[in-house]
Amino acid sequence: MNKIILPGEKVSDKPEQMPGTYIHDGKTYADVISLYDEEGKKSVPLEGMYLPRAEDYIVGVVCDVRFAGYNINIAPSFNAFLSGRESRDKFELGDVVFAKIAEVDEVNSVALTDARRLTGGKMIEVSPVKIPRVIGKKNSMVNMIIDSTKSEVYIGRNGRIWMSGGDIELTVRAIQKVEQEAHVSGLTDRVKKFLEDEAESE
Amino acid sequence: MDILDVVKKDYVTRLLAEGKREDGRKNDEYRSISVEKGVLQSAEGSALAIVGKTQVLAAVKFGVGTPYPDKPTEGVLSTNSEWPPLASPKFETGPPREGSIEFARVVDRGIRSSETLDFKSFYINEEKVWMLYLDLYVLDHDGNLIDAGALAGMAALMNAKMPRYEDEKVISDESNRQLPLKNTVVACTVAKVGKHFLLDPTLAEEAAMEGRVTIATTPEHICAGQKSGPVAVTKDELLEIADLSFKKGRELRSLLEQ
Amino acid sequence: MTEKEKPELFVHGKRLDGRTVEDLRPLKIQAGVLNSADGSAFVQWGNNKVLAGVYGPRECIPKHDSDPYKAVLKCRYNMAPFCSSGEHSRSGPSRRSTELSKVIREVFEGLILTDKYPKTMIEIYIEVLQSDGGTRCAAVTAAAVALADAGIPMRDMVAAVASGKIQEHIVADLGKDEDNYGQSDFPVAVSWRDKEILLFQMDGLLTRQQFEHALNLSISTVEKVKVLQKEALLRSFEEKNGSPRVNLNL
Repeated sequence: MNKIILPGEKVSDKPEQMPGTYIHDGKTYADVISLYDEEGKKSVPLEGMYLPRAEDYIVGVVCDVRFAGYNINIAPSFNAFLSGRESRDKFELGDVVFAKIAEVDEVNSVALTDARRLTGGKMIEVSPVKIPRVIGKKNSMVNMIIDSTKSEVYIGRNGRIWMSGGDIELTVRAIQKVEQEAHVSGLTDRVKKFLEDEAESE
Repeated sequence: MDILDVVKKDYVTRLLAEGKREDGRKNDEYRSISVEKGVLQSAEGSALAIVGKTQVLAAVKFGVGTPYPDKPTEGVLSTNSEWPPLASPKFETGPPREGSIEFARVVDRGIRSSETLDFKSFYINEEKVWMLYLDLYVLDHDGNLIDAGALAGMAALMNAKMPRYEDEKVISDESNRQLPLKNTVVACTVAKVGKHFLLDPTLAEEAAMEGRVTIATTPEHICAGQKSGPVAVTKDELLEIADLSFKKGRELRSLLEQ
Repeated sequence: MTEKEKPELFVHGKRLDGRTVEDLRPLKIQAGVLNSADGSAFVQWGNNKVLAGVYGPRECIPKHDSDPYKAVLKCRYNMAPFCSSGEHSRSGPSRRSTELSKVIREVFEGLILTDKYPKTMIEIYIEVLQSDGGTRCAAVTAAAVALADAGIPMRDMVAAVASGKIQEHIVADLGKDEDNYGQSDFPVAVSWRDKEILLFQMDGLLTRQQFEHALNLSISTVEKVKVLQKEALLRSFEEKNGSPRVNLNL
């Protein structure tokens, strides 16, 4: 059974590393509102801000062009740096980019790499903790949505999703459905049915 | 300027080129609106207006004060707005900024010049008149604060009961009579984005707009106007906005009079 | 203000509004009522109406306030100029609201895991839309729910209630008249799990025995507040299922 747990509730009698938890006196407690799987003894956060990690792909916006490179906004009022040497393309202010986090230092300074420009689409924001559900196991959720809407979709771990082409409006609605119902079981089947119903009503 | 506004502006502009708005509305269509009167007990009148995701709370309180020397027999209306920081990631603490002051003044102007309030009836004696404090409190900002504020303000006035002044005391109780009003004022705001005129702009549309025009109306008259932002409008455009304001004003008024 | 005669606050085991010594006033909590804020909550407690909104963690502004090792917490408790049934007041901070902003902030400085988000700030904004005694406890209660709604990491949750003394009786959750005409006001915030006291203020006169009694009563009464906070958060996740946000229900 899954149940919702709140900050301070015990997740395990042993010290365990899990997202949205902390260890105190050898036990593990939730630090954000989370979905707790009682059989699997696992906890998944339901809310929370993005905590940058190396190797994450993010969707950012160029907010400052400097001699040495670019400041790229990756979360509300939070910027990462893309060195000019790390990018073949030249970017302009306001460009939306898809990039990989190369490094995060101990004071949360973030360096990016592998950046590419995204043009002509729409960017939406969802809660970053819901991104794993939007992607699905082995990309199953996002692939199912793309198969149905024919949109091109770039998903950033920072909660920003970029899409272009195809039925953008349906893509947005499908992703919002995933976001809102991420904690309810049988999500894949419901999204599948939603997309089928929408296809029929066309 | 927030860099995300650039992305929003870009998207809003591209959609408009295809003749669409981000939420699928027609250019002359409001978001869903609800107005609830009498939401506070501490104030003599109150209302919450919700326009899409924008929420504005208005409260009416009465006090006793001295009249202005040039209008010794008339009461005083004082309209103020608060943009508390919980309503938007861009609102800050501290003294009100120009946007907040403009917002309160445009709503105030509509009410004042509509002559819906009879300031002569606010006279108590040679030294004292009623002061009507109208506070507009923005709780959630998703664009078009003025129309939502005007709706909340008007609804709070319609909900207000006049206290009595007896033996140098202000008495607020059940037997107080309804604040008399001559008419119902509403405001309609249209944003200009490129060549397009959009009624009831969202926050993203406001990020993309060059400016906006607000026109407040009573059933018969235009009673306040404000152009805001660097936008230039032609005479014909302004007249069209006035016609639209009368037309939409009827819809808003029927919401208020329910 | 008119001079009122001091009312009888306690008659035949009942208080002015018919409550027993340990009853709470009617308390309603809603989570996730605002769209713009990262987390929000609305608390109606007696005639109190208190709205809390939380932003963050986001980049610390001004930069010189920022801490390279942890998030900086900012808190503003503010009373709307129309919030009391008395006169219309001036807007902006008073000495009272400045003090309350500080003690409320300190409640959460002890709970939020600020070292997870260095160089950022977390902001708690509290608007008292209507006041009816015990606003600081309503504020702490609302802010805790708003922080949980925002997904700000905390080691524990917190709830608050003000006990006090009226006509020599120790009672829970002082109402406005009980606060104005009573003998002591004793607001306390208590963490959910470990029962730590995170806010403590008091005024008036209490014997050592009454002090202990009031403290125990607050700690036991907070349990009732906790249940409603928890319900509000769970409900908001069920309601979100299908609709993006719950509308504010004043």
